[in-house]
Amino acid sequence: MAQRPQKKLFSRKKVCRFCADKEQSIDYKDVKTLRGFVSERGKIIPRRIVGTCATHQRQLCEAIKRARHIALLPYSGSVLG
Amino acid sequence: MRRYETIFILRPTLGEEQISTLIENTTNIIQAEKGQIIEADRWGIKKLAYPIKKETLGFYVFCDYAGTPEAVTEIERKFRIDDSVLRYLTVKTADSITAEQADTATAELAVRRAAKQASETETDDDLEDDIIEDADIIEE
Repeated sequence: MAQRPQKKLFSRKKVCRFCADKEQSIDYKDVKTLRGFVSERGKIIPRRIVGTCATHQRQLCEAIKRARHIALLPYSGSVLG
Repeated sequence: MRRYETIFILRPTLGEEQISTLIENTTNIIQAEKGQIIEADRWGIKKLAYPIKKETLGFYVFCDYAGTPEAVTEIERKFRIDDSVLRYLTVKTADSITAEQADTATAELAVRRAAKQASETETDDDLEDDIIEDADIIEE
């Protein structure tokens, strides 16, 4: 039986970007910041990867969906494609 | 009174006149319901992230106002009928807003815009070329 892969011992603790910087607000019109939270294919990046807290991830999710509705962000694919 | 913001996308083929009348019509609806316009901004023609009704470009108009829910339903009803409106989105930003608060918001915005314009004139030479039409102030 193969041994279970050893768990990474030292993983850097991710900090929620919006908690760290109180000035930064989540706005569906602000495409530049939202871009950082969607993958190349336009999918919302999960919390476990980007490290935002639950509250802000919820707001972010809502903002991205609004931006998609008014065609500021794509539903799928990159903006160019 | 509640505070809303509405973004709507118009067909890029529309003439300046048609855009103006459309914006005027929506502002009239808000004012008829005793609402107040805080900001009415033309973002101009932008590339859409995906085609809507076979259009790849859209003329964005942003409107921030204090109004009643009835005004919103009326505006959206008009948008649904109008073929030149590709998409619209209304978001409630505050549950209640008084006339004074709306006035101060308008004043604040004017100050911010003046400051922005002052800084923009310095760096006027290297404007981004994806903004085809400059957003201009419709009414204050």
